Amino acid sequence: MERNKWKRPSNIDKFRKMNELSVEHLLGIKYLTAEDISLIFKMADNFKKIINQPIKKVPSLRDITVANLFFENSTRTKLSFELAEKRLSADVVNFSSAASSVKKGETLIDTVNNIIAMKVDMVVVRHPNPGASVFLSRNIDAKIVNAGDGTHEHPTQALLDAYSIREKYGEVKGKKVVIIGDILHSRVALSNIYCLQKLGAEVSVCGPSTLMPKYISTLGVKHINNLKDALNWCDIANVLRIQLERQDVKYFPSLREYAMVFGINKEILSGLNKEITIMHPGPINRGVELTSDVADSGQAIILNQVENGVAIRMAVLYLLAGKVKKNGE
Amino acid sequence: MNILIKSARVIDPNGKHHNKIRDILIKNGIIKKVAAKIKEAKVKIYEAKNLHISIGWMDMHANFRDPGFEYKEDINSGCRAAAKGGFTGVLLMPKNNPITDNNAQVEYIHSKGKENIVSVHAAGSLTKAMQGKDMVEMYDMKNAGATAFTDDKNSVQQNDVLKSALLYAKDFDGLIMNYPNDSSIANGGQIHEGTISTALGLKGIPAMAEEIMIDRDISLCQYTDSKLHLSYISTKNSVSKIKKAKKQGINISADVALHNIILTDEQITHFDTRYKVLPPLRSQSDCTALIKGLKEGTIDVICTDHSPEDEENKKTEFDNAAFGIIGLETAFGLIGKHLSKHLSLAEIIEKIAINPRKLLQLESTKIEEGDTANLTLFNPDIEWEFQKADIQSKSVNTPFIGEKLKGKALAICNKGKFLEV
Repeated sequence: MERNKWKRPSNIDKFRKMNELSVEHLLGIKYLTAEDISLIFKMADNFKKIINQPIKKVPSLRDITVANLFFENSTRTKLSFELAEKRLSADVVNFSSAASSVKKGETLIDTVNNIIAMKVDMVVVRHPNPGASVFLSRNIDAKIVNAGDGTHEHPTQALLDAYSIREKYGEVKGKKVVIIGDILHSRVALSNIYCLQKLGAEVSVCGPSTLMPKYISTLGVKHINNLKDALNWCDIANVLRIQLERQDVKYFPSLREYAMVFGINKEILSGLNKEITIMHPGPINRGVELTSDVADSGQAIILNQVENGVAIRMAVLYLLAGKVKKNGE
Repeated sequence: MNILIKSARVIDPNGKHHNKIRDILIKNGIIKKVAAKIKEAKVKIYEAKNLHISIGWMDMHANFRDPGFEYKEDINSGCRAAAKGGFTGVLLMPKNNPITDNNAQVEYIHSKGKENIVSVHAAGSLTKAMQGKDMVEMYDMKNAGATAFTDDKNSVQQNDVLKSALLYAKDFDGLIMNYPNDSSIANGGQIHEGTISTALGLKGIPAMAEEIMIDRDISLCQYTDSKLHLSYISTKNSVSKIKKAKKQGINISADVALHNIILTDEQITHFDTRYKVLPPLRSQSDCTALIKGLKEGTIDVICTDHSPEDEENKKTEFDNAAFGIIGLETAFGLIGKHLSKHLSLAEIIEKIAINPRKLLQLESTKIEEGDTANLTLFNPDIEWEFQKADIQSKSVNTPFIGEKLKGKALAICNKGKFLEV
């Protein structure tokens, strides 16, 4: 076949022969092994080098068509995926639809099958319902990358978070990470818990009890009520965005009071006995969960997370695309 | 129809032939003779290996979706499913379109089921359009044949509405049923709140949503000095609350849906919508407590909660999928497989035939000379595999296709008819 003539960087070719993901889709971190995650990281190392070169593009996904289906609003995740796809030379199509206009699953399967019928190999999907990506993977013929499904998982976010920790500390194993904020409605929290634990980190959560799943401890996670205690415990604090739009009940009286109790500012950080790392999946509500002087400080690696996001997504797409080609050959 | 049933073991715990092998002669819908050996010329003979016989089984909670959703099920297809499963009677829940909230709807259902071998009983809704506000014309509907009143899965949230209904029904001995589920606590939940809901990010229905309302219902029942039937009990604490109330002499009864006894939320690990039911599948300790509750008599009835759904309502994202599975055809085989080690055959028959008939004040038959022949014939030990081809229902929303079951209905006898199933 024509595309086999394309010469890829030799080190990547070698990896592809030696290593393969244990899964056919990226639906959630809980379906991955620790080896899968290491493989994605190793691959991301390569892509991170590439995207820092003057010529950022590689032909790895030439002849692969990727559809980005966003049934929920997204700016940065969509942009990050699109950049990753384009830097891998994939053909990219985009579909966006507000959650409200997609009524029932019939529409979802039909919509996606319509797009697949146009010979799409991979689908990156964001959807407001938990398990939507799992559901699609069982009903359509394409590789699925979950870009966030309701309150279930957001695997690429967790991968890039863990990758950023690995980048800063050399390894994730043994690190103490606290996730702060709305754990109840957070797919980022859930994926992070799975990912960090698989890599040997210790994870705690901190936030108002109204925003904690009652059975969170069954995931092997400790709930620390007090922000200062949580920050003193951890090496890294991953601070979540307070998503007022995803709350159907009032879980706390006001943003002002949330910021008073769980907002992180310079004063709290300088009162700690060590220097911790601050992470945030974005977009930040400045003055709510983080003050600007914290978000913009050297302790924060928020922009590194964004940069690593592209490399991680390239790695994931590349590894899954390998499986597309094999089936077709 | 005249028939001679040969060598059947009679399971009739309150009758004089209980656990004995008998020949039974039926003429024109009446049991003419029960004896160790009957010789009768010119009569059809029915015999089968390991033949057992009990009074006809009665499902206290079934949905036949007729009128309104006949593409999922109608009264005829539902009756075929019931017959196949060995049920000679069903109580149909009111959630149709229009809702069974007036005497005309009750009459429609009864007239459509009239010719069928399965006795169709309509439950009326408790409130108009099942809105939980205004009581239906219960007296009129009872006269039209409504056997019980319930808003089914739309649990009555407002305390004073249930209080009034309990008081009002006292005057004509109507049966009020309520599914305890506090909607402000359950609030859009999809599965049991626990490890699985946490791991999958699915919204949980806390056991507390049920238990908090059981407390209320018991208080209301005690205050009104009325009787109340609690439907679809699913938690360990619910069982102990009901046990305590019964001990205090409060006139309360309860049922459980079969799938809530034999399945847990572990089934949902892969977002499998076939296991999405309400009340949700809970934990193993809940199942164990429910079985104990049945054994001790805290729970009176096992129902199927037969809930046909079309493919579109199940093959969809979990949050959008409908609750419910079909259950009539698999009920007895599943009971045999999962419960026969805990409950005796006589106890099983009590839960699926005798108690529901008592609670619904239906003609209480025995297997004795002169009684109406409303009977189920079965083999409790036969092992078989449930196949899609066995499904008589219009819908196929069951997780049990391919499942090995133990025990099967062989024939039913009702309304002067005899049908091998």
